[in-house]
Amino acid sequence: MRAVTDAETPQPSTHDEPIDGEELTDEERRVLANVAGILRKIKYGTVVLVVQDGKVVQIEMAEKFRLR
Amino acid sequence: MSSAVTRTREHPAGSPAGPTISVRDLGMTRTLPSGERMPAFEHLTFDVEHGEFVCLIGPSGSGKTSTLAVIAGLERPTHGEVLVEGRPVTGPGPDRAVLFQEPALFPWLSVRGNMDLALRLADVPPDEREERAAMWLARVEVDRSADRQPHELSAGMRQRVALARALACDPPILLGDEPFGALDALARERLQDIVQRERVERAGRTTFLFVTHNVREAVLLADRVLVMSAAPGRLLEEFRIDAHRPRKLDDVLVARVVSEIHDLLIGQLEGTSS
Repeated sequence: MRAVTDAETPQPSTHDEPIDGEELTDEERRVLANVAGILRKIKYGTVVLVVQDGKVVQIEMAEKFRLR
Repeated sequence: MSSAVTRTREHPAGSPAGPTISVRDLGMTRTLPSGERMPAFEHLTFDVEHGEFVCLIGPSGSGKTSTLAVIAGLERPTHGEVLVEGRPVTGPGPDRAVLFQEPALFPWLSVRGNMDLALRLADVPPDEREERAAMWLARVEVDRSADRQPHELSAGMRQRVALARALACDPPILLGDEPFGALDALARERLQDIVQRERVERAGRTTFLFVTHNVREAVLLADRVLVMSAAPGRLLEEFRIDAHRPRKLDDVLVARVVSEIHDLLIGQLEGTSS
C-alpha cells in the first residue's frame, strides 16, 4: 500500500464552490483530488472512503473489466 | 489520509520487467471414455505480475484446476503456452511450489522431518535448515507439534504445515489448487489470515496464483480476481481490488465485490442449466 503521489494527484481547482458557505479546507481538497484521480482512471467499479473521527483515513477501490 | 490505491501493473523496484506468469491462448481438450472430445477450457490469456496475488475463480468444471495444473507443469495444454519469467513451461520446477487441497505431507516423517526434507531438496545449507523450519512452524503456529506425525494433526494443522513447508523454501511462485477447500470454516479463516499476512510481509517477493470456487476467499486474498465461465472455461471478467490488508468479510468493498462476482457466477450456472 502507498499514498497517491503528487504526480498522480490532479491539482485542485481554484474555483471550488463553497459548501454551506465555507471554503474547502486543504484536507478536503486533497481527498477530493484523490477521488477525482481515481474517477479519471476507472470506467466500472467501486470507490470506498473510510472515515474515522471525521477524517478520511483510507480510500479503497475495486475496478472491473469485461474480458469477454 | 492514506490510500490503498496501487497500480498492480507497475513493477516493484528491482523486479523483472515482464510478467512472472504469462498465459497465452491456453486451451485443453479432454477425451472422454466414450471417445468424445470435450474442451475443458479455451482461449485463456492473462498475465500475473511480479509479487501479485491473483485468484482464478469459476463454476465447477470451468477448467480452473486444469489451468493451474498446466501452469504448474503437471499437465500439457492442447493449445497455447505458459511462460514463467519468459521461459516456456515444459514440466514442474522448483520455482513453482504447489499447495493442493490435500496437503501432500510424507506420512512417515514428523512435521519437523517434512520441513527438513523440503529444505534439503531446496539446497538450503544444513546449518540453516533447523532454524528456518522452526521459524516457519512458529509463524503458522504449529511449532508445538513439530515432533508429531501428520496423522496426529487436524486437517487445518496439516495444511498449515504444508503452507509453512512451501514458504520456507522461499519459492518465487506459490500456486494453490483449492488449498483450503477441504477445511472447516474456522480452520479456513485461520489459514486465510496467515496467507494475508504473508502476502503483506513478503512484500512482492512471492507471486501467488490460487484457484478457488470460494468467492469470499478470492476477494479477501487477491489483488486481482479472474472470473471464468462455465465449461468450456473462458475468462469473463477481471476485478482489480485495491483495499487495505488484512481484509475482513464485512469490509464494505469486500462485501460489494463478493456480491458482484457471486451474481456473475450465478448467472453462469443459470445459463448452463437452462
